Amino acid sequence: MRKLLVLVVVVLSALTIFAEEAYNPEWLIADVEGGQRGGTLYLATTSGPKTLNTYWAQETSSSIIINQGDVSLLSNDFYGQPTQPSLAKDWGVERTEDGGTLYWFVMREGVRWSDGHPLTIDDVVFTWEKIIVPDLTADGNDVYMDAEGNLPELTVEGNKIMFKYPTVFRFGFQTVGGFAIMPKHVLEDKVTDAETFQSTWTVEQIDQLVVGGPFKVTEYTEGVRVVLERNPYYFEKTKDGVQLPYLDRIVFEIVTDSNVARLRFEAGETDMHGPAAKDFPALRAQADKKGWNVIVGPATAGSNFVAFNFNAADPVHREWFRNDNFRKAIAYAFDKQTIIDTLYNGLAVPCYGPRTNSSAFYNPKIEELGFRHSLVTAQRLLREAGFSLNEKGELVDWDGNVVEFELNTNGENVVRNEIAVILVDSLAKLGIKVNYRPLQFNAVVQKLYSANLDAIIIGLVGGDDPGWGTNVWLLDGGLHFWNWSPEVMDWVDPDEYWVHPAEQRIDEILRVSRSILDKDELQKLWDEWQMLIAENQILVYTISQNYLNMHKNTLHLYPVEKYGTINPYGYSYSPGMWKIEYAWKE
Amino acid sequence: MLKYIVRRLILAIPVLLGVSVISFFVMQLAPGDFLDTYRINPNISREKIQELETLYGLDKNPVTQYFLWLGNILKGDWGYSFVYKIDVWQVMLRRLEATLLLGVTTFIFTWGIGIPLGITAALHQYKFTDQALSTVGLIGISIPNFFFALLWLMWSANTGIFPIGGMLSREFANFPWYKQIGDFFWHVAGPVITLGTASLAGTMRVMRGQILDEMNQDYAEFAKAKGMPSDVVIYKHTLRNAINPVITSLGFSLSSILGGALITEYVFSWPGLGSLMRDAIFQQDIYLVMANLLLQGILLITGNLIADILLAASDPRVRLRMSA
Repeated sequence: MRKLLVLVVVVLSALTIFAEEAYNPEWLIADVEGGQRGGTLYLATTSGPKTLNTYWAQETSSSIIINQGDVSLLSNDFYGQPTQPSLAKDWGVERTEDGGTLYWFVMREGVRWSDGHPLTIDDVVFTWEKIIVPDLTADGNDVYMDAEGNLPELTVEGNKIMFKYPTVFRFGFQTVGGFAIMPKHVLEDKVTDAETFQSTWTVEQIDQLVVGGPFKVTEYTEGVRVVLERNPYYFEKTKDGVQLPYLDRIVFEIVTDSNVARLRFEAGETDMHGPAAKDFPALRAQADKKGWNVIVGPATAGSNFVAFNFNAADPVHREWFRNDNFRKAIAYAFDKQTIIDTLYNGLAVPCYGPRTNSSAFYNPKIEELGFRHSLVTAQRLLREAGFSLNEKGELVDWDGNVVEFELNTNGENVVRNEIAVILVDSLAKLGIKVNYRPLQFNAVVQKLYSANLDAIIIGLVGGDDPGWGTNVWLLDGGLHFWNWSPEVMDWVDPDEYWVHPAEQRIDEILRVSRSILDKDELQKLWDEWQMLIAENQILVYTISQNYLNMHKNTLHLYPVEKYGTINPYGYSYSPGMWKIEYAWKE
Repeated sequence: MLKYIVRRLILAIPVLLGVSVISFFVMQLAPGDFLDTYRINPNISREKIQELETLYGLDKNPVTQYFLWLGNILKGDWGYSFVYKIDVWQVMLRRLEATLLLGVTTFIFTWGIGIPLGITAALHQYKFTDQALSTVGLIGISIPNFFFALLWLMWSANTGIFPIGGMLSREFANFPWYKQIGDFFWHVAGPVITLGTASLAGTMRVMRGQILDEMNQDYAEFAKAKGMPSDVVIYKHTLRNAINPVITSLGFSLSSILGGALITEYVFSWPGLGSLMRDAIFQQDIYLVMANLLLQGILLITGNLIADILLAASDPRVRLRMSA
């Protein structure tokens, strides 16, 4: 019996060694070591995934889960910039003789999909030629185009893949280096048209899912939980030779109510929690006793701002909103510090421009512009512009019109709602009557597209690189909602259309920036861009909350171990999840 | 009887059509559509939005959209969910089990306890039992569901007696069948008590009032005077008459089982249709909302029909007739 047992052990170990040898790709060696393999990470999420197709997921509830399995040629660094190796082991960009740009990537060899099938350059070509070029995705392929609307030309030489743009194009590493690669052997017959492709990898088709990234969804009980398991073929190793990810499984428990998510964390049922600022002090008080690591991270990327409609239906309102002093007065009247102290327990930073201080592109000079809370300055600016107070204490303009306008925001967003209330109160001190009307999200979006909008508090998300904001900042952009171009919205009267000189320059900057490869030259443009917006208060920025994170001491998160904080830009909807393949549990 | 049922079913068709027309156009009156989240995404161009509008059929006028939808329904195709990109029935079926489990358990809880308690209260009119039951019932009815649910969850978190929301334990799949059943009751207790206490008082009060009314009727007095034992009078005669309104309310219960627990489901993270519909309405996933509304309409009609048939069975005075 004993002999038999020994024999079994020997055979099994031989098999294991053999199996390990059978899979020996050109490993990507991560800058981590000393972690423990195994364990399950328990997290709470507000709702389950709606689709598992990364190209059709529009909600964070889906993308936070799917992205764990995505893989592309390059991966992002701490600032969300595509500077790290992934499937590409070597890469670069060259200017070609005919004035174009050539992005090249050398693929790691011997890598496999989670089902064991080889992951090769064919899959990259397949994703590019059959999914992105024919435009089968929800986002469309505009982001891959250069300033003239050209998609790059793809060529393959052995293990080197090249994308050649006919013009100078800056975003190549983000775009062609960053798209999620899909398995050709699984999806070959699903890429006939957008309709078929979007119905591929729905939540009903978990068993067909094949990934190249660290974790793969293996189980979804509708509304209850999503289970992700390690991809046995993931191609990354630690410095001491452990195949990543460290964790065996990630379980997302679906907890719809945020109060309940907090209770679950307090009871020890989940390992990590992103608390709201209002809950933070109460939770921090328990941290030592319960063994939690508390992190106050940098400011979040997306910030809320007040936008005034330069094309408001009422010509009088339009004139106020286009007046620089008027918008600047609003900025001065808006008491950012009070909001931070009262609504955020001090866990937020004031914003003066379109990037927060945690951004890789931030221009600290905008803080020197001096937009600090001051009713006196606000009053002076209004007076200089020709506004005055009437005997009832109301602000009236140069023609004697009483200043009164409507302010909207989507009411279900608690933060925006509270900012609105404080703004209404501050402006009342200037004699301005603001009629605050919170709306449902869809109604807000419809308002953005109409002349009926006066002012709105809203926030936009997107990549950190300001160049991604063309839809928002170009004069004819599809989301330039505070001053629609008559070419985009037919209700804008071309004779009445007016462009702020700063907006004109911003438009130029965004166009030029698409073809500038030099980093310093580019940063100069972004500095100017932030200055233009801040100086003229094209949009009146408010505040931005700090990322807050609490996790059990037994959970080791890579960004915290390496950078002392969680990642602000690499993973905007859940900073604790960035590089989760490096996280390990004791 | 069969003829009656068939006629009722035929009459249900215009009702359902009415329901669908009103629901569809109310959905259309609401601002925006499913693509609004796409519109505010800085990465999606206007041309792409237009393409998606065509793909989802949102560029057609509402009347055309309605008739296309109706045509598909008649062919048995209830449309597909914009969000999930699958057939609406598949989406709803994924949630139906949880909703039915919660609904039926709550139904048994409210009726199974409410009716006997109502009778007890009536038999002890104005005595301590009656007043105690009324008080408990009133407390149950007056605490808002979401508040009761949160209190329950906080209590569960502090004591560990019941789970903090959810429907299945992590190890559910590995449990033997009897443990799985136990696990279900362990999880369903919170939502059932939250929902149950709210409607328990109603059932109890109706039952109590009815019994008292019937006990004062001449026939009951006569039977008692004749020397019939009071148990027989109560359980054989007055109860049969008293139960009619309760049976009538069954018709409504059937449809509310599917949709009446939104807030409770939300707080308890119970994966039922209620929370699904909440999301669907916010995301303007029209076909999913329409399918649900139509299903509720069908259940309401079926529920009423069943109630009428039960009523006829329990009370011979009720004749199933229809005015011509």
